[in-house]
Formats: sequence, C-alpha cells, structure tokens
Amino acid sequence: MDLFLQQLVNGLTIGSLYALIAVGYTVVYGIVQLINFAHGEIFMIGAFGALSTYLILFQGQTALWILPIMIIGAMICSVGVAVLTERVAYRPLRGAPRLAPLITAIGISVFLQEFVRLFYDKIPGVDFPSAKQKIPFPQVDLVTGEALEIFGVTIQRAAVFTIGSLVLCGIALWFFISKTRTGRGMQAVSQDPDTARLMGINVDRTIVIAFAIGASLAAIAGVAQGLLNTNINFKMGFIAGLKAFTAAVLGGIGNVWGAIVGGLVLGIVETLVTQYTTLLPFGLDQFGGSSWKDVWAFALLILILVFRPQGLLGARVVDRA
Amino acid sequence: MSTATAAPQQVETTDRSGLGTTLGLVGGALLLVSGLLSWSFEPVFGDISVRFWPVTLQIFAMLIGAATLVIALSRSVLRKPLGWLNAGPGLLATGIGATIFAALSLAAITQQTGGLINANEGVWVALVGGLITAAGGWLGRHVVSEREAFHVKAPSTVEIAIIVIVCALALAVAAYALGREDAWVFVLFLLTMGVIATGLAKAGFFSYLGAAAQRHQHVLTLGAFAAAFLFPFTQDGSEINMSIATGVLIFAATAIGLNIVVGLAGLLDLGYIAFLGAGAYVGAILSGSVSSSIGWTPPFLVTALIGGIFAAILGLIVGSPTLRVSGDYLAIVTLAFGEIFRLSMFNLDGNNGPDLTNGPNGVTNIPDLNLFGFDFGTTHVIAGIPLSRAANYYLFMLLLTALIVLIFARLNNSRIGRGWVAIREDERAAEAMGVNTFGLKLLAFAGGAFLAGIAGTVKAHYDTSVTPDQYQFLESAFLLAAVVLGGMGTIAGVVLGAVILKLMPEKLRFFNEYRLLLFGLLLVLMMRFRPEGLVANKRRQLEFHEDDEELADEIGEWKAVKEEDAP
Repeated sequence: MDLFLQQLVNGLTIGSLYALIAVGYTVVYGIVQLINFAHGEIFMIGAFGALSTYLILFQGQTALWILPIMIIGAMICSVGVAVLTERVAYRPLRGAPRLAPLITAIGISVFLQEFVRLFYDKIPGVDFPSAKQKIPFPQVDLVTGEALEIFGVTIQRAAVFTIGSLVLCGIALWFFISKTRTGRGMQAVSQDPDTARLMGINVDRTIVIAFAIGASLAAIAGVAQGLLNTNINFKMGFIAGLKAFTAAVLGGIGNVWGAIVGGLVLGIVETLVTQYTTLLPFGLDQFGGSSWKDVWAFALLILILVFRPQGLLGARVVDRA
Repeated sequence: MSTATAAPQQVETTDRSGLGTTLGLVGGALLLVSGLLSWSFEPVFGDISVRFWPVTLQIFAMLIGAATLVIALSRSVLRKPLGWLNAGPGLLATGIGATIFAALSLAAITQQTGGLINANEGVWVALVGGLITAAGGWLGRHVVSEREAFHVKAPSTVEIAIIVIVCALALAVAAYALGREDAWVFVLFLLTMGVIATGLAKAGFFSYLGAAAQRHQHVLTLGAFAAAFLFPFTQDGSEINMSIATGVLIFAATAIGLNIVVGLAGLLDLGYIAFLGAGAYVGAILSGSVSSSIGWTPPFLVTALIGGIFAAILGLIVGSPTLRVSGDYLAIVTLAFGEIFRLSMFNLDGNNGPDLTNGPNGVTNIPDLNLFGFDFGTTHVIAGIPLSRAANYYLFMLLLTALIVLIFARLNNSRIGRGWVAIREDERAAEAMGVNTFGLKLLAFAGGAFLAGIAGTVKAHYDTSVTPDQYQFLESAFLLAAVVLGGMGTIAGVVLGAVILKLMPEKLRFFNEYRLLLFGLLLVLMMRFRPEGLVANKRRQLEFHEDDEELADEIGEWKAVKEEDAP
C-alpha cells in the first residue's frame, strides 16, 4: 500500500509537470489549430532563464525569496521567445496549408535547442557555463533539500512546489478564462475566429496572449523541473514536449481542463506501469521497468488517438482534418 | 500553337532597356577579363595571383561572365536562336550573383591571406563587372521576350542534344565540386553554379528545358541515370567522395519513399526513419554478424525481401490508425511510432527485455555483401579505373534508386497515384467519388515502408554496424526536410534536397558545428518564402500562391502545351 501511495505521489508530481506544459499546447491549439512543436523548447528556455537570472543576480545565495524572482526571469525569457516566434514565424503562415506551420515549428524547435547548446556560454557580460553538458540547477531553501516523510511516503520538497504551482496556476487560469474580458474573448476566438473578429475582438492580440499564457506556465514547469531533477540540459524540451502533447491529446486537445487532467493521468499511468508491468500476462511482463515507460506512454497516445481522438474530456466531435 | 496563346507581349525597345543590355555586355566582358587578371598577391586557392592563367576563382568568374554575355547577346547577335530569353531579369540575377560572388571572394582572400590589402586588381574588376551587370539588369528588368519560353521548339535532335549536354554538365559539376578540398573554393564554386542557374532560370531557360524534357522524357531520365552511373568512374577510386555519394544515394532513396507518403498521398509522417531502421536491423541480424542474435543467414536477396516486408508490415500497423486520424494527429502518431521503435531497439538487449538487438551497442561487424560471387568489400578494376568498396555500394544503390524512381513515376501516373493526389487535395470529396481512401492510404504507407526497408538492408551492410541512435527523430525530420526543401511530389526536387542536406555537412567541416542550427533556420525560412520547394510541382505551387493570377495563367498554358504535344 505504501508503495502504491509512493508511486501515486511520484505520478502526481511528474503529471503536474506534464500538465503545466500541456496547457500551452492546448491553449494555442484551441485558438489557431496549430501544434506548436517548439513548445517543449519554450519550457527548456524557461529553465535556462531561471538559471541565468540566478547566475546574474544571486550567485551563491539560497534564500527562498529569490525563487519568485527566478520564476519571473524564466517567464520573461519564455514569453519573449514564444511571442517572438509567433510574430516572426507563425503569423505570416496563417491561412497556409497545415503542413507549413508544422514544419516551421519543427524548424524552430531544432533551432532553439541548437542556439542554447552553441551560444549559452557565449552570452557576453556574464560567465555562463557551457550548455553542452548538464548544468546544475540552483538550490533554494525550503524547496530543495531533505525530503518530507508523511505516512511512510517520501515526498520531495520540489514535488510539493510542482503540485502547488499546478494548483495555483489552475485557479489563476480558471479566473482569467471565465471571469476576465480577455479570457472570454479567447473562448470566443477558439469557437469561431471570424465571428469573434466581427464582434470586435482583436484576434491577433488574443493569439499572442494564448502563446504568452502557455509560455508562462511552461516557464514555471521549467523551474519545477530544474528543482526536481537538480540539473537541466538543452535537450530536456523534446521528450517533455512530446509527453505534454500526449497529455493534451489524452485530455482532449483544445480543452484547458482536459490538459490538466490528461497530464495527471499520464503521469500516474506512467509511474504505475513502471511499477506493475510485472503483473501483465502474455509475456508482456518483460517490458517493464523504467526503460520502457516512454514506450508505454507513446503506445497510450496512439491508442487514444485511434479509439477516442476527442480525448477524455473532449465532448465536441473533432473535425479530424 | 494553341489558340490559348495570348497576343504576343509588346517588346519594350526604349533607350533604357537598350542601355541595360549594353551594360550587361560591358559587365560580362569585365567578368571575363577579370579571370585573366591577378586576384591576390599571395598564391592561395590554387595560385590565383598569376595573370593569364586562370584557376579556381578566376575560372568561376569567367563562367559567370560567359553566361552573362550569352544572355546579353540574346538581344542582338544571338537573337535568332536565343531571342526568346528574357534578358533583363536574367542579367539582374547574374549581376547580383556576380556581385555577391566577388564580395565573398574578397572575404575569402582576406581570411586566407590575412588582410584585404592582399586582394589584387582582378577581384575588384570582377566586383565592378558584377555591379555594372546588376545595374544593366535593373534598367532592363521589364524586357521580356515576345515568345514564351515553353512555346519555343527546336528540332528533336537539337533538343535531345541539349538534354544530354545538360546531364553531362551536371556530372562534370558534381565531379568537380566533390573534388574540391578547400571549403572556400567549394562554396564559391557552388555559388557560381547557383548564380548561373538562377540567371538562366530568370531568363526562362529552364522553362524551355522543362518543356523540352516533357517532350523527350525518356532521354532525360536515361541521361540522368547515365550521368549518375558514370560518376564513380570520374572519382578515380577516391573512397571518401564515393562514400559521401553512397550516403547521399541511400538518403535520397529513402526520401523518395517518403515522398510517396507525404508528397503524393499528403500523409505527414514524422517517424519514417523507423522503416529504414527496421530494414537495417533485419539486414544486420540476418547478416551472420557475430553480434547478431539469430543464427540464420539467408542469401542477401532474401534478407532484402524480408527487410522490405517487415518494414511494410510496420507500415501497415502505423498506417492503420489513418482510418480514424489524419492531419496533425497522424503526424503525432507516426512520431510516437518512431520513438517507440528507437526505444525498443535500445531496450531489446537481454537486460530490459528479450535479447534481439544488442541494445545501445547495436549490431556490429556486419560483413560486406557478396552477390553472385561479386564481393562488395574489395576494389574491382574496370577499364583501368579502380572501383572501391564505396563505389560498389554506390552502383548497387543506384540500381535500387532507379527501381524506386521507376516505381514512383509509374505510380504517380497511374490510377493509384491519381487516387493519392485526390486524397491529398480533399479526402472527403475523393471518398465521395468512390476512391478507396483507406486502402490507398495503407498502400502508401506500406509501399513507402517497403522501399525504405530494402534501402535499410543495404545501409546495414554498407555501414557495417546498426545502432539505435542512427534512427532518432532528427533523422526523420531531415528526411522530411529533404522532401519539402526539394519540392513535394517531384523526383528531381527530392534528389536535390537529399544532395543538399547530405553533401553540405560532409564537405563543409567548419559548417558541421552549426549544421543543425542552420537546418532549423532553413526550414523556417523555406516555409516562409518558398513553401513549395526548390523544384516546384506546378500544381502545388498554386496551392501556396492562391492569389497569383499570372502563375495560374502560366500553368494553364503549360497544360495546353502538354495536351497539344500528347500523342
């Protein structure tokens, strides 16, 4: 039982991370029907933004109050890059055949990864470490350090931070989307951009806001990932982005709550599968252990897409085109 | 001539355009002369400091100058045979190109000799020549010929001769380019070829060549393959160049397979490298390598067939969700499949699962192919020219590529191909018209995968080892980029894309570190400015430029010409 609870907590932690990133995919997809392949890299840039903020302002310090400033630094970097890519690469392609923005997104994804890998240590002014290998992420009082022990379950402090961030972001997002004018405008645009434009909604601005919201949450996820894993690298965005996309599809792409639920479900399924594949019949038990967990996650993605393309919470029939 | 031919456009014969042509003549002459002058005080790049003995950069400048002169003279002396060239736009292109060429040459000389001071008069003359040509082109940029290039007809023998000469030139260019050791000379040579090609394209030469090739399609295909076949004989047994060429061919063959799926059927596949990998693993495991886990070693032709069929079965599995998903979702399904493939190959090592692929270490020491007593591992001497190990594989891959191209071309013009294009354009309409969309989609996946699987079995023997990290997502992205960069749905385009994406990193060592960065940037810029690819399928081009009425008219006329020529 303890083991099960332990795996559940681990699953919730990793799931919260997926959920935070998945929201970015889903918000953008809901509005422009674009799979922003480069979103995983926005997450990675968030982590590097937080690290840079730390290295510039607080080198050597561990006080808790620097964490919010690191998060703000991460957000500035992520949102900046996301809005820039939208302006430079995606906006000119609106209305082009679907293949064009998808390939652009792949291009941006590769470009951002390589840019960080090649040039992070060459940024003038500060002595940044080379991003070609893993970089240790700063430790902050209260959030890193000795793990907590509750009812025989060990919980990393960073895990509390991750799950807490998801809860806070979820509430903020709910408030923004359903209570503010801009948020309701977003809903309108995702329903029907042309009519929304006629109703006086600035569609371009709404799209930029969608990119910015996604990037902010990805930035928080980047910080959480750094705290959880204690190191970051330029490649971390690719697989995380893929998982987050899986989560978004699992929950029903275009649906914000779906993305959060999907993220949590994916995280939990992944950790439980790792633990309990030995119970599987037909010789499938050989494919257990953590080295197969990504395979299970992707197999799950394919199965969902085939059998329930609208996802767990997706009620509307998706026009599969 | 069809009645669709509009009234001939009035030729502008104002003073300004006459002046433009004259400036083009002057610029071209200057470029020619610059090749005979000294370019540098230091003997670099094959000694460009010597006068009246042109080498490397000097020859390149003279080539551009010659092309410029031909285009400019098409207004006067050569009016009879070449009057249909659009001199103005052509001169503008070669002029700008020559200016860039001269500027880059200056940079090369500066970098190589340690200072701009070492640049001698020749390179400055070339720069002035380029600028003058560009100015002339700018003045005459509205001068277009009264005859549309694709209405021009020459006697068959002349057209066939032109096609053969173009193929031979392509062979010579490829052989020369691969032989360059110096990165600067290589880049500047490619730039020269690019400038001449752009100039001729702007002048309408390729429009003519396209129409001529349409009339003599078999000559073009045969000529291209003859050139590719003769290529190893130009390399004098050079192992490095031939191994690059073989790598390009394997990549190109796989990309053509992908082109069936993406270019014809319009199904985006982001995990295509897995099919090549599946073939490679089958080839490796059945090769009799020490590290393979199965003791059976069938003859290679059986292995290739098994590899192809295995990949095709995987293709069917990946393709089956297409019944329910398409578009972006399909892209993700295929991407997930590619990752599953790589991770499985990584983990099937006996520790984390059944022992099959030797895990991250892969299958190594794969023996060379031996077909009907012909050992691919040794050098054979044919007509006094040694054919190295890589050349053997090259020729074998060329046969395979020819087969794949043949299949592609036949399918493209068949009922099946038309069904695919119908699905690509509008799946629901196609279904309503009685096209078996599901069956055709599965066929596209299985067929493409089959070809990739066979290519994979050869690749395994050629590489002598197969490891999971050769088959990661990025490789799929590269394949897709080759298809998109070259032009979806065309063969020439995809081969061009494959050559660009494989050849460049191999030849440009300094470029290697920034290879992926530039690749990403290239994808973004291509989608932004020329989404239809370098060699555009005319129909597809229209999709991306809906408002372009001129283009629509041009395509209409193309069709008219084609129908007229149809037997």
